[in-house]
Amino acid sequence: MSLTLEKLVCDAMTADSSIDGDQIRMVLEGTADTQSRAELDEYVGKLHGEAQRLGTKIVHVDLKELEFMNSSCLKIFVSWLAQLNDLGPDKQYKLVIHSNPKLLWQRRSLAALSCFAVDLVTIESA
Amino acid sequence: MEPPYLQVSFRPNVKLVSTVRKFTEEFYEHMLEDREVTDKLALATHELLENAVAYASDGETGVRVELANDELVVKTWNRISPERLEALEQLFIEMNDSEPDEYYQMMLRKTAHRTDGSGLGLARVRAEADMAVTYEVSPGRVCILASTPIKPKVGGK
Repeated sequence: MSLTLEKLVCDAMTADSSIDGDQIRMVLEGTADTQSRAELDEYVGKLHGEAQRLGTKIVHVDLKELEFMNSSCLKIFVSWLAQLNDLGPDKQYKLVIHSNPKLLWQRRSLAALSCFAVDLVTIESA
Repeated sequence: MEPPYLQVSFRPNVKLVSTVRKFTEEFYEHMLEDREVTDKLALATHELLENAVAYASDGETGVRVELANDELVVKTWNRISPERLEALEQLFIEMNDSEPDEYYQMMLRKTAHRTDGSGLGLARVRAEADMAVTYEVSPGRVCILASTPIKPKVGGK
């Protein structure tokens, strides 16, 4: 199995993904704001396509080095979860979001995100 | 003694929003004891400024942070069209009709299928930053104000 997804490099943010066994791991670093929103949206869309193509059951999202995320980029995750929710159970996969407890915004924003899709997302604090 | 404040104004430019957030965050860290509060204020500043920049067709936008009477107020401003003002007034009516967390969750559900921005900014400021949000209008201009009670750092004033 291999991913056909190139690393995303924006002014203040990078996104990179890899296969880890039968799971996918996406790492976001930097600041996700209006400047990177369109690129991140496209990237997540491609990642979703890859996860479906590969029949992945878990996608890890590593935000431990993501300094800040604005509401436009948070919306990308909300839409991603809504897309997942609309899929049949056999095509669904789960998101495991790895957060950084030192970045306080993550605790509040990710709690809101997990309330939105309790069955599809798990938050892990490293 | 005049209350401490910080004010930054600039020509609307999305690239400056993160820069100004980091700048104001240093001010919060200097003035306030609680790191959780400074983090919430930084989030609120970013969201309010992004809105101000997004909706300012031209002219000037900015942020003023003022600490007075154990309350901190973050104020942003921008020029506004009559159509946008009408939409903003309606948004405040709906927002003030619900508890912050309840409204935020409703907006998260709504935004999933939106194509015209997230619409989450003010809801996020209320729910995640625990701030009261109001607005003031003067001819052609709107100010958004977010406020929270705070405990100033000893010696920070």
